[in-house]
Amino acid sequence: MEITIRVNGQERTASVPPETTLLTMLRANLGLTGAKLGCDVGDCGACSVLVDGEPVNACLMLAAQAAGRDVLTIEGLGDFQELSPLQEMFELFSSFQCGFCAPGMIISAKALLDKTPNPTAAEVREALSGNLCRCTGYTKIIDAVMEMASRGAAESERA
Amino acid sequence: MRHRGRGIACMWYPIGFTVAANPSAAVVKVNEDGSATVLTGTVETGQGALTVLGQIAAEELGIAADDVHLVSGDTDATPMDTGAIASRTTYVTGNAIQMAAAEAKKILFEVAAPMLGVRPEQLEARDRRIQVIGFPQKNLPIGEVAHHAQVVMGRPPLGSASYNPPTVAMDPETGQGKPFSTYVYAAQVAEVEVDDETGEVEVLRIVAAHDCGTPINPTLVEGQVEGGISMGVGLALQEEILFDAEGRQINPNLTNYIMPTSLDMPEVEVDIVKNYDPTGPFGAKGVGEPTSVPTAAAIANAIYDAVGVRIHSLPATSEKVLMALREKRAMQKQIPAE
Ligand code: FES
Ligand code: FES
Repeated sequence: MEITIRVNGQERTASVPPETTLLTMLRANLGLTGAKLGCDVGDCGACSVLVDGEPVNACLMLAAQAAGRDVLTIEGLGDFQELSPLQEMFELFSSFQCGFCAPGMIISAKALLDKTPNPTAAEVREALSGNLCRCTGYTKIIDAVMEMASRGAAESERA
Repeated sequence: MRHRGRGIACMWYPIGFTVAANPSAAVVKVNEDGSATVLTGTVETGQGALTVLGQIAAEELGIAADDVHLVSGDTDATPMDTGAIASRTTYVTGNAIQMAAAEAKKILFEVAAPMLGVRPEQLEARDRRIQVIGFPQKNLPIGEVAHHAQVVMGRPPLGSASYNPPTVAMDPETGQGKPFSTYVYAAQVAEVEVDDETGEVEVLRIVAAHDCGTPINPTLVEGQVEGGISMGVGLALQEEILFDAEGRQINPNLTNYIMPTSLDMPEVEVDIVKNYDPTGPFGAKGVGEPTSVPTAAAIANAIYDAVGVRIHSLPATSEKVLMALREKRAMQKQIPAE
């Protein structure tokens, strides 16, 4: 079937079998390999993307369910030449090691900060609890999100 | 009711095994623009090895870490490496890279000495320059010396070296010898809360003090320690591969093989105990596996401190802790109070 999704601000269309997940369509049909295939059953969060601003596991959503909606993947933030402020913060804190969890982790952090610009540490831990990381112990990931939040709060006070 | 307890555990860990050949090798080339290229067989897995190895080359050559380009992990182009294993990379591969860089530097010094009117022994490499020790105003940019070495002197500034930790055979009679080149040490303290009605254990805080020799990159050392602790917490309380009677794993997925999430991670405080090992590159030893060694033992000791039961098989699940608490209560009932 023909499916059109607005991905990172662009209309993208692919012809896929009806059982295709959003993750497979993004990776295999649209060439967006930022979202990772970890477990394929909703346990690891490596495939996290935003659909209409809500974080979802793209491995659990059918591509057809995303038709006509707005999908944001890690490619929609920054790139090597110009990282987004949130990505820069993770880099500053050396938050990641192997990086496999990073695209999903960053998307989950963005989803949290978009809704709750000034979260508590407990809220950060909760928001990231669906994203498994084998390498880092989460410490520097949580620290980066907290720092991002406190800078964001300082900026909105100035504004 | 929830009870709080603290436990401590210590460890030592060997770096650079010597019971079998354990070599690393490297090639270092100083380029005419003052940058350097390092060929190493080791592989970056996210631990930051290439960053640390680049820093080691840069320090030896007196240039910035950003000036070093590493080519790694492809034996079509690089020397073979024993492996990104055994917490050996900083120590063994680092030594090889430092030695190779020192060789390239020796050529630079021999070329620069007549240009500066001194002997090679009077030179040092610092701030991207070859300069006279004690008279840093007498200097030449490294790139200029490298260029001169290449196109005028016909001596390209290259170095290659390998390092194999010194071997001491084990005595077949006593089993004694020196099986490892050096050792690292650590102590971790765990603070836990144990619920005596459910057996549930929550790790609140881990304080970890690790000796890794000179920390070449303290942030990366912290990252290793924090990551190791999360694996230790998993080992202590959650992670277990389960088999059926035929030996098939029955939990080969993340739904049933439970590992720590951001909600399970305690507060972590890392204390890097600065030390210097004369056999390591710039005094460095290693950090990696050692970081997860003491965690589970510290947690088990903290459980004992909190509720007075010893858990002898990991993971210390709620079921096991509760069972141990029941046994303890049953024992206490049998002993008549004085
Ligand atoms: S791949 Fe989707 S949650 Fe693991
Ligand atoms: S950095 Fe390796 S899984 Fe998170």
